[in-house]
Amino acid sequence: MMKKTLFCLLAFLVSLSLFARGGKETVTVEEKINVITMAIPVDPDGLDPMLTAAASTFQITSNIYETLITVDEKGNLEPCLADSWSISEDGLSISFYLRENAAFSNGKKCGSEEVKESFIRLMSPESLRCKDYSFISEIETPDEKTIVFKMNEINVAALSSFAYPWAAVVDTEESNLKNKPMGTGPYCLSSWVPQEKLVLALNPYYGKEVKNDGFVLVVMPDLTAEITALEAGEVDVILITGDLASAVENKGYNILAAAGNGLQLMAMNNKNEALSDVRVRQAINYAVDKDALIEAVWWGYGEKIGSHFPVVLKEYVDLSDAYQCDKDKARALLKEAGYENGLKLRMDLPKNYQEYVNAGLVIASELKEVGIEVDVNIVEWAYWLSEVYVGRNYDLTVVGHTGRLDPYALLVKYLSTGSENYFNYSSSEVDQLLGMYKTELNEEKRTEYIQTIQRILSSDVPALYIQDPIQIFVSASDVYGFASFPINIYKFKDVYRK
Amino acid sequence: MKKKNFSLILGVFFVAIIIFLFLLSFVYLPYSEDQMDTKNRFSPPSSSHLLGTDQFGRDIFSRILVSTRSALAVSTSSVLMGTVFGLLLGALAALSPHFIESILMRFVDAMMAFPGILSAMVLSAVLGKGVMNASIAIAFFMVPVFARLSYSMILESKKKEYIKAAKSYGASTPRLFIFHMLPEMFTRLITQLSSSIGAAILTESSLSFLGLGIQPPGASLGLMLSEAKGYILIQPYQALWPGVILSIAVLGFSLLGDGINEIIKGEPDYE
Amino acid sequence: MLRYILKRILSALLVLFFVSLITFVVISVIPGDRAILALGIDATKESVEALRSSMGLDKPFFERYFSWLISALHFDLGVSDVYGERVGSLILSRLPVTFSLTLFSIFIASVLSALLALLCQMKKGKGLDGAIRGGVILISALPSFWISLVALIFFCGKLKWFPVNGYISPDKGFLPFLRSITLPSIILALGELSLLTRMFRSSLINSFNEDYMTACKVKGLGRVRSMVHYGLRSAIIAPITLIGNQAAKLFGGTVVVETIFSLPGIGRLLLVAVEQHDIPLLEGVVLFITTMVVVMNFLTDIFVAIADPLIRQSEGGVK
Repeated sequence: MMKKTLFCLLAFLVSLSLFARGGKETVTVEEKINVITMAIPVDPDGLDPMLTAAASTFQITSNIYETLITVDEKGNLEPCLADSWSISEDGLSISFYLRENAAFSNGKKCGSEEVKESFIRLMSPESLRCKDYSFISEIETPDEKTIVFKMNEINVAALSSFAYPWAAVVDTEESNLKNKPMGTGPYCLSSWVPQEKLVLALNPYYGKEVKNDGFVLVVMPDLTAEITALEAGEVDVILITGDLASAVENKGYNILAAAGNGLQLMAMNNKNEALSDVRVRQAINYAVDKDALIEAVWWGYGEKIGSHFPVVLKEYVDLSDAYQCDKDKARALLKEAGYENGLKLRMDLPKNYQEYVNAGLVIASELKEVGIEVDVNIVEWAYWLSEVYVGRNYDLTVVGHTGRLDPYALLVKYLSTGSENYFNYSSSEVDQLLGMYKTELNEEKRTEYIQTIQRILSSDVPALYIQDPIQIFVSASDVYGFASFPINIYKFKDVYRK
Repeated sequence: MKKKNFSLILGVFFVAIIIFLFLLSFVYLPYSEDQMDTKNRFSPPSSSHLLGTDQFGRDIFSRILVSTRSALAVSTSSVLMGTVFGLLLGALAALSPHFIESILMRFVDAMMAFPGILSAMVLSAVLGKGVMNASIAIAFFMVPVFARLSYSMILESKKKEYIKAAKSYGASTPRLFIFHMLPEMFTRLITQLSSSIGAAILTESSLSFLGLGIQPPGASLGLMLSEAKGYILIQPYQALWPGVILSIAVLGFSLLGDGINEIIKGEPDYE
Repeated sequence: MLRYILKRILSALLVLFFVSLITFVVISVIPGDRAILALGIDATKESVEALRSSMGLDKPFFERYFSWLISALHFDLGVSDVYGERVGSLILSRLPVTFSLTLFSIFIASVLSALLALLCQMKKGKGLDGAIRGGVILISALPSFWISLVALIFFCGKLKWFPVNGYISPDKGFLPFLRSITLPSIILALGELSLLTRMFRSSLINSFNEDYMTACKVKGLGRVRSMVHYGLRSAIIAPITLIGNQAAKLFGGTVVVETIFSLPGIGRLLLVAVEQHDIPLLEGVVLFITTMVVVMNFLTDIFVAIADPLIRQSEGGVK
């Protein structure tokens, strides 16, 4: 009986193997030598750039699709699908001139008509970003290579909005872009096994230089496993958090630490009775030692900020020392506001972001010292989106905002009627400045408006501004060329093995 | 030759360790479990921090002490809930007419088909997290175990003569259940209880390890291990003590169950 | 025999019905709005309402349940919110991993515990017997996620015996695939060791006490020979039930090990479904796992009934 059982089991395993091997025997992407493997923590949620809000997805789609223009590491605009562009004198139309021989990875040519179709899709209600592009009133295609976007009013943030990864040009004839992405970028999807890996092969119709023979993205949810895999030579590039930097230092890896143009902050609901008092919000700012917080959570890998503005943009004003940690001052302000006998607040932290959870825990423990009792609640991302962000039903929350190229896109969160204003912040001065900025053509005045807003936010503190995070990319000793950008894109095509 | 009941001795010893730590947490807690000292993170064991500190400079020893609270609270409450509902369900099935009986038992089979961690995970999505919800989630898969236990025991005792005799005197069904069957069930119940508590502690820590059980800043052995997991490359010893205590707890309760089993059965199976 | 099987099938079907009902009821009360989740934060009220009705979320409960059940009976479990792919094909693509993991670990556990039990039987009452029995209890009590962590660091990181990157898909060769799941399988097997060894041991001891073993001795058969041919054979029936049941249990319990070793199995699919509130995926995976458990238990019962004439006769074999 035992023998029979064993035999059955073995026979089963062997047949399983035969069944599984019955595939083709051609050389696959992964077997080529100059193929780079990168570890990513989660699967993308589909590969349609217009149907996702996830930063991790854009980092992949930006290699399959192309935007009309893109940015370099400093945020300067660069040609991409368009070779060049021009803005009319009245500022009401932008023309892009497409590069020669642009084609989708299925061989179909990509001319101005295809681009127009793609933007019509981006502006249609099915796309998540349709509102962002409602400033476009008309799209014209005077010839094969030229596409012109017309606007009804001046919008200084218009040009840079063509560089965001969601404005990528897609083949609108492909009905299921989530699983079958079709773009003009350097790569095309070769295979995708969810939770295992994505294999990107070269797009045969790309026509520009790509420094590797393909890119493989391996899904590894565990950072420890990622580092061990890097050590074992199984992956070439990983992205780590500051606390684990010591595990990869001095081992010959190429380490790139760059400010990511993001903003991490603890938002406060300005409609909460206690938090509507600016003294309470200031007290919270005085109570937290930001340097210690950044050291504790990110092990010092972060640029301290004092307002809602990333360090890398040129309009930045350094307000990071506006609130020196002073617990007594915090207590005094709380007493003045009438909360000397303590205050109870609830803090919702998004579970899938370990660093925000950690930061929240550290802040909660600091606030406890000045008499603010924080009830920490770890919530699912789905709950966070619907209850905290959209529902604005919260007291405190820690979260990060990803990079934008134009200050308006960043600061529109503080427009009192804005849909993204989950702080429930309301300041007529800020509203007015934002309105003026949008139509002002004078560069100097625009900068002045933005800097004034930064100062107002720093004194009103609708949030506790923490830091502009520093991202740490680690690549194997023979792999070069990985770069970090101020928006959520990667450029896999520049990575190579020596 | 009379052999010593090693399972019982070791089981009692290990369970005593856990209960001692549990009681100690109320009497003597060196630091609050969420008190941070970020400048002293990952400090090695010393006189001020018996087992060192974690990534936020929290005292590991204190966190372990508090963890035994959540481990015991979740496991005993879930097992109690599971016992009460399970016993009732099983008794109801055993004492019902045949048709209802088989339907109820298929329902119990259906609950049994949900592997422990699976039902706990799904229920955690429904109920949210925290001590109470983790207990309910774990209780869900305790129910069928106890339902089957009481069902089979009642069927057995139904066949026994004295019950028949009592019935012929006109004793009512609930009365029979309480005065005749329950005491018999009691001894077998204890065995099952003890090993179930061990299983519940393990499930609670697995849930917390996956981020679905006890939430930060609370303390749970599974949570501590999952936090330590992130630092195992640079601070491997952080994963040591929570793992050891967890093993002692699980081992202790399952050995205790074995030991009691040996006493009752007079060790027919194992010796 | 036929009557027994028929009866068993009927009861399995009833169990499956309850399983589907429990699954659907429990999952339908998960808080959070699927439509908002799918559309993201910038969605308008109108588009949320439109999506809700196209998802059928505005229909009454029983209508939703039966339409789900009927399409599930046609092997149609709907489309995952997260992946935009059919739930059925997602599960099928994960099945080989979890299935081989389960099979491999139950195989390791059975062989190992049978050997240990034999050793115990040969040295019955001596130090080794006690040591083995104590040892397996100790090993099985260690939490699998803890051992996994330690093993990952030690065997994959330091010794490099196994790949960390976990998984090598079977289409790259069966042996590398088997090697990549060896370590997790062993860890899962450790958890089953104690129960199986004890079961093997006691059923060995019981059968060795039986008269025909004495007969073997009288006939002059060697000790090992009689052990393997007669002892094991009669000892196997009880463990088969246990192995079957444990395999079914393991099948739904691989999630922790899959997470740590980055294995793309059903357990991790389940975790994603729970974390992302992907309702169709969650329903599909839960229904699939529980159905597999019911089927595996059913097959075990049938197998045992064929092997052991006593159960067949007693008719009451329905547990």
